[in-house]
Amino acid sequence: MTAIVVTGLGIISSIGNSAEENRESLIKSRAGISKNNNFYSRYSTLLPFGEIKKSTAQLMEELNANEKGVTRTSLLALHSIQEAIEDSKLTLNQISSSDTALIGASTVGGMCLTDQLFIDATTASKGSEYLSSYDCASVMLYLQNRYKMKGIVNTINTACSSSSNAIMCGARLIKSGLVKRAIVGGSDSLSKFSINGFNALHILSSDICRPFDANRSGLNLGEGAAFLILEKEEDCKGKKVYAKLSGYANTNDSFHPSSLSEDGQGPFLAMTQAIESASLDASSISFINAHGTATENNDEVESVAMRRIFEKVPAFASTKSYTGHTLGAAGAIESIFSVFNIINQEVYSSLNYTSPIEKTGLVPNLNYRKTSVQHVMSNSFGFGGNCSSLIFSKH
Amino acid sequence: MMFYINQTSCISPQEFILFDDNHILRKATGGKLFALEPNYKNIPSAQLRRMGKAVRFGVGAALPLLQQGNDVNGIIIGTANGGMEDCMKFLKQIIEFDEDSLTPGNFVQGVPNAVASQLGLLSHNLGYNITNVHRGLAFENSIIDALMLLNEHPLNTYLLGAVDEISDFNYKIELLNGNYKQQSNEGTDFYESGSQGSLAGEGASMFFVSNKKDAAIAKLEFVETIHSSDEEEILNWVEGRLGSHLIEMDKIDLLLTGENGDNRVLKYYTAIESIFNNKISIARYKHLCGEYATASAYAVWLICELFKNSKVPLHIMKVGTPPQKIEKVLLYTNYLGEQHSLMLFSKVK
Repeated sequence: MTAIVVTGLGIISSIGNSAEENRESLIKSRAGISKNNNFYSRYSTLLPFGEIKKSTAQLMEELNANEKGVTRTSLLALHSIQEAIEDSKLTLNQISSSDTALIGASTVGGMCLTDQLFIDATTASKGSEYLSSYDCASVMLYLQNRYKMKGIVNTINTACSSSSNAIMCGARLIKSGLVKRAIVGGSDSLSKFSINGFNALHILSSDICRPFDANRSGLNLGEGAAFLILEKEEDCKGKKVYAKLSGYANTNDSFHPSSLSEDGQGPFLAMTQAIESASLDASSISFINAHGTATENNDEVESVAMRRIFEKVPAFASTKSYTGHTLGAAGAIESIFSVFNIINQEVYSSLNYTSPIEKTGLVPNLNYRKTSVQHVMSNSFGFGGNCSSLIFSKH
Repeated sequence: MMFYINQTSCISPQEFILFDDNHILRKATGGKLFALEPNYKNIPSAQLRRMGKAVRFGVGAALPLLQQGNDVNGIIIGTANGGMEDCMKFLKQIIEFDEDSLTPGNFVQGVPNAVASQLGLLSHNLGYNITNVHRGLAFENSIIDALMLLNEHPLNTYLLGAVDEISDFNYKIELLNGNYKQQSNEGTDFYESGSQGSLAGEGASMFFVSNKKDAAIAKLEFVETIHSSDEEEILNWVEGRLGSHLIEMDKIDLLLTGENGDNRVLKYYTAIESIFNNKISIARYKHLCGEYATASAYAVWLICELFKNSKVPLHIMKVGTPPQKIEKVLLYTNYLGEQHSLMLFSKVK
């Protein structure tokens, strides 16, 4: 059986502009939650956000990205894919070759330009430069054009589990023999659109988010992008390999459009099937990067599902307490954090926690420490009941 | 990798009687070819009221298949935009109420994964569930996913489909972008218009796919995709793909293309037709469904109808006469001249 390995990492989030900076913040328990300065929304100063402090103009300049209609979501994607490609030492020929896939996720796409979209869609405007940039696909199409990619390119949107599914799709493309390698990840930027969507659902906290705490009051939205390079183990002789992607599963909770079932059947099945696909016992999971959005519903249901699976629930943390919930980028960002756990044999602290959820009594990991890490599970559960779990293992 | 198409269902601008050459096809009004919606008696009325058009199409097309007592192991949906109308209604709320006191219904219904997730919900399906949104290849990428799933789990059956809707908002954006005609030719002569843009279309097409040959309608022999706007490259790519799949050109009964009356992309269709040097019959279908990012799913539904009826209607012919024998169909289509796909289907006997 072909083993899929991770050979490159790239990330930009509110806790750092590179993989190294992100890890540094995780080690130092330094969150990136602040007010929103990059655009105006009624909630910019009322709610906390995981905002990246580079302006869109700054990103354009740094990345030499002056194409017409380029959006912040595409720029964040470009920023992180560049780092991942450089890290893995893939050549430009390899990237553009038809046996390299690009599988990305986005839920916001060009809708980060919420006001501009409204003008283009409803007024007598002649149309802005962004007419082809509003959809989710525009982000991967931008990267595809920029790198002249000829292989399979796809965009996945399963809400908050999107980029976990992109990672899974890339791995399956390699296993099926359709491609030799896959660049997988996701990108989402903060937008007036998503802020208002989540706010209308009353799941945004006016305070910093407190994953798995009894008194949690909702999530903080964040922005970011992350890409991983996946290759076949046998193609990587002599190459730096960070970890193995050893298991994955995608299930549906089939309960409600915007909340999870009480017994967490979707999350339960995603985690169980991911463990099965890695041919592991639940007891061999060393650490869980939980979905842990800090909403009333998610954290309780995820805890219930973890209790159902594990006789003794392994150490777990929600790194959304650092980055906020980056939606379509979350699965990829947290996969990179899971790979950090493995490379560096260390686990990170879950922030802002004081007391356990009564029903389950689970306490997340509360300090940074070095420890033996063999297998890390990364959970992502989205609206529409879209649940996915990935397992990364020591290579 | 291949799979069989075992069942099909479709909501499109046309009635299902496509094979009577005297039947009058529904035409566009104001440049838009709206789908003909059924009465949705399969959908509980409380849920139906809340559904936006794309969700209604998708669920309305898929439920008749799912309710025949056939379990599927997962749901794979391609959609470029999902519920655009709902999405824009929510956007309108944001602007008009200045971000205050908004109701989340439109937001939840407008997310692109709402179709696949509603289907999961209504059919109590806890299995694999995904939404591919890669614009003009959202459906083709869904096919590739289904192929991989059936390779990984050979005994399974999956619901595979695509849906996109015309909303006032996306119509305006596409019109501004030159993708729809300013002066709409409402008939089939839009193919000959020589102007830029196409006719707006919409619809949902749903399929049960598996490795089960029994009572299957069609077999998907292969699917290939590429991103390019260089017609020379596309020509070479199609020839190369046919060669690598060892396709004997004279075994193909019909070339079906996504030709759409847009003078900016006609060159790709002309190039592909030139490969066959007028030796095979060539047909097109966009006068039936209009142009939209996942219209190739309608073409796959149409190919299944050709196989079921063993007949090719005259109104789809572009070059040559309707072939006597219809057992192998090559489908080439592109979206906005950038995202191209090539698929080969054969009739299951």
